[in-house]
Parts: sequence; C-alpha cells; structure tokens
Amino acid sequence: MEPSSLTLAGSTDAALESVLTEEIRSLMAPPPESTSSFTALLELPRTRAIELLHSPEAPNSPGVAVPGGPAGTPLRRLGGDGGGGFALAVGSDLAARYPALFGEKNDSVETSSQKVKSEPLTESDSNPNSSPQPLVSDPTVENKGQRPTKRKDREKKAKASAKKSKNESSEDAEELPYVHVRARRGQATDSHSLAERVSREKINARMKLLQELVPGCSKISGTASVLDEIINHVQSLQRQVELLSMRLAAANPRVDFNMDNNFAENMSLVDSNFPSMVMPFMWPEVQVNESRQPYHQQWQFNSLPQPVWGREQDNHNFITPENSLLSYDSPANSVSLHSRATENGAMKVD
Amino acid sequence: MKNPQRSPTNPGSLRSRFTQVFLQSLLRIRKHNPTSSSSSSHGEFLKRCRRVKVAAYVSMARAVGTRRAWSRATLWRARNGERQRNLLYGRCSKSNSRERSLGKRKRKKKKKKKRDNEEHSFGHAKKLQKLVPGGEAMDFCCLLDETAHYIKCLITQVKVMRSIADFYSL
Repeated sequence: MEPSSLTLAGSTDAALESVLTEEIRSLMAPPPESTSSFTALLELPRTRAIELLHSPEAPNSPGVAVPGGPAGTPLRRLGGDGGGGFALAVGSDLAARYPALFGEKNDSVETSSQKVKSEPLTESDSNPNSSPQPLVSDPTVENKGQRPTKRKDREKKAKASAKKSKNESSEDAEELPYVHVRARRGQATDSHSLAERVSREKINARMKLLQELVPGCSKISGTASVLDEIINHVQSLQRQVELLSMRLAAANPRVDFNMDNNFAENMSLVDSNFPSMVMPFMWPEVQVNESRQPYHQQWQFNSLPQPVWGREQDNHNFITPENSLLSYDSPANSVSLHSRATENGAMKVD
Repeated sequence: MKNPQRSPTNPGSLRSRFTQVFLQSLLRIRKHNPTSSSSSSHGEFLKRCRRVKVAAYVSMARAVGTRRAWSRATLWRARNGERQRNLLYGRCSKSNSRERSLGKRKRKKKKKKKRDNEEHSFGHAKKLQKLVPGGEAMDFCCLLDETAHYIKCLITQVKVMRSIADFYSL
C-alpha cells in the first residue's frame, strides 16, 4: 500500500509510466478473452454501452474521429430495435472486430501492443500539452475503478499518440468526411483503397455474422460456398414456411384465434416445454377468451363439422364450466388449476 | 424439468409481436373463408394456403416494422398484389409493371456503378437478392445485413408457426 502510494506521489515519469503500463496490461488481459461481445467487454448493460459509445462523440475534440454518419446511425438503429439482442450483437460484434469502422482502436489485441508502445512515445514526444493531461487524469480515473471512462481516456491517448506517430503515413485518412480510417503501416493511403478497405472490412464482418447465424457455416471457408450455404438455408426456411402454412390452412381451427397477450405469452412456453404438458394449461385460456365473444359465434363454431378427433365431445363439456368462470383477470395459474380439474372431470365423463 | 409457469421473457419481443399479428390474420382468414375441410375443393385449399403464407410474411413484416428494407419490400409487395387482385387485371397490371420496370431500371443503374468494387462476390449475390425481398435494390454490404436479419426473423416465424400448427393439430 505505502510503497505504491509513494511511487504515485513522488512519481518520476518512468515510474508513472511503468505503473500505468502495468495497470493497462492487466486491464488488457481480460478483454481479449471476450471479444465476442462488446457489451461483455464493457461489462455494462446494453443501453449504457450504447450511451457510452455515443457520448465520446460530444466531448471529444473535433480533430478526433467521430463515428457519426453511416457507422453511428446503424448502431443507434440497431440498438433501438425491439428484438434487441441480435441487433446489438451485430453492432457490438462489428465494433469489437472492426474498430476502424467505429473509429476506435481499443478492442483488438493487436492494438494493445501499439498502445503500449505509444505511451513511451507520448512521454518522449515534444508535445507536452496533450500528453501529460491524460496521463495525469488516468490514475485518478483508475482509482475510481470505472472502466468505461478509462477506455475513453485510453482512446483519447491512443488516438492522440497514434495520430502523431502515423501522421506521415496517413495524411489522407483524416480528410474523409465521415469514416475515420487509420492507414496502418505499409498500406496504401489513397482514398480509393481506403474506402475499398473499409467496405471490404464491413463485408467480412457481416459474412462472419451470417456464418454464425447459419448452422454449419463456420467451418466453411471461402465467400462463395458460405454464400451458397446461406442461400440454401434461406430457401429451406421459406420451404418450411410454405409447409407450415399448408398445415395451418388444413388444420381446421376448432377454437377462436382471437387471443390476446395471454396467448402470446403462452406461446413462448409452448416452444420451451413439452406440448402435452402445456395443452391442459392452454386450453382454458382459449376457452376463457372465447366466452368473451358474442354467443352466436360460439354456436357457429360448434356447428362447424369437425374432423373426427376425440376432442369433439370435450369442447362441449369445456364451454359451460368455463363460462361460469368470472375471473378473467385472474393469473393464468389459478385458471389452469380450475380447468385442469374440470378437464379431468370431463375426460372421466367421456 | 422446466417450470411451465415461467413468466414470458419479453412481452414486446419480436416473437410475441409476430404471434399476435399472425393469429389475428389467421382469424381474419377463417372469418372470410368459413369453409370446412370436407367441402373445400383443391383449388380453394390452395388459395387458402397461399393466403396463410402471405399472411405469415406480412405479419412478420408488420412485427418488424418499416425499419428494415426487406420488411418494407414485403409490405409494398403485398399492398401492390392486393391492388392487382382488386382492380381489373389488365388495366392495373400494365401500370404496375411499368412502374416496377422503371424502378428496376433505376436500381440497375445504381448496381452497375458499385459492381466494380464487389465483382468477385456479386455473382452469388444475385440469387440471394432474389430470395430476400427487396434485395435487388441493395449493394452487397446492405444485402448481407438484411439477409442476417431476415434469416433471424424467418427462424422465429418458423418456430411460432410450427408451435401453432402442432397445437392445433394435436
């Protein structure tokens, strides 16, 4: 405790730098394990992650890249999607794997070595204005233990240092209007190839996502065969939809489809449980809802010639006891208990 | 053993939205075509099948909303298909086909410009463009994006439809 405080208090530049590099290396170690999810990296809930992704846009200096435009809005759009999980995973995977898209440099392992190298650069650089400030702010931030702000500071530092160290090779990168791409060493720097590289990276990122989505695609290498697999998968899904629609059209519905939220909730249960278990549970929901309908509809329904299934008689027995149930608003549990008893009674009668 | 009385994961999720809309549309179909299985002819059965299929896609597109290009395309296609059926076939189809060909020509111009960049994978993408609704007006990058979302929604749709069909056929 005391020696560390001494080193912090009476810090020479070298000592501070070593402490910082150690801290940053230790912090770097866990993130590469979980590069699959950006939110896991941040260890934050999704909304907070999105906030943080966008909040650096405002306080950052205008010279630093702002991932606005096409990169930023898709992420916002994805984040606002109701089916949230996948969309965020899409955006977060993109962010995690292709930092160039989002103007960040901190999410890949390869840049960690750059950062470590860039810190001695900032120390030795004759640029006192920006470098001491982030370095000084870092210990205070680290003491608070807030990872997102650390990342922001690290981003600022890395961007500042990387910009200076690569200035000679990437002059064109900063002139692009909305996508901030840093040309790495030894790569072409004209705007055409940069744009091509960005688009190629985007395409590769999305291909990877699709590979994960389509089962059995992750082992296949090569764009063409992956695309073929994807096409086959989409075709098979569409064929399944056709078959199921035939089944649904053929299966003459014996109960009203006028479900409300209760049924929609139960649908999720149906998917996860055995249908046989859920059947007695779901029938009463259906019956309760049906009794709300005007009575003549029930007559219509009952008079429909039904296919020869054993349940024909059961329907008639169901309706009358369920109509007497006044507790529509009761939770599904009590309704199911009632109905299970009545159903057992009905079955015994048959 | 799973708890049958587990609370739903997300009442506003894509799956529950789709279930609601799809069940409503199935009800509507049943109301409009109150034919039983014994009296329906083969042609009517096929018509009903097609209606159910279209209803499935349209309800999925509605559940997704207009945020996605493919959902917009399905809704647009369904609306135009209805118009074709309602009005006289000859009169309406000509205007529709003219509109559509104009639109396609414009889209093809866009495609040609961007083809230089993505030549190597664009050949395969043509098939994909035909499969994904609204895919013809997109560049390869957006096409992949839309395909991913479309596949995810198709999987949900198949699951829900299968569970409904299982439920009502048991």
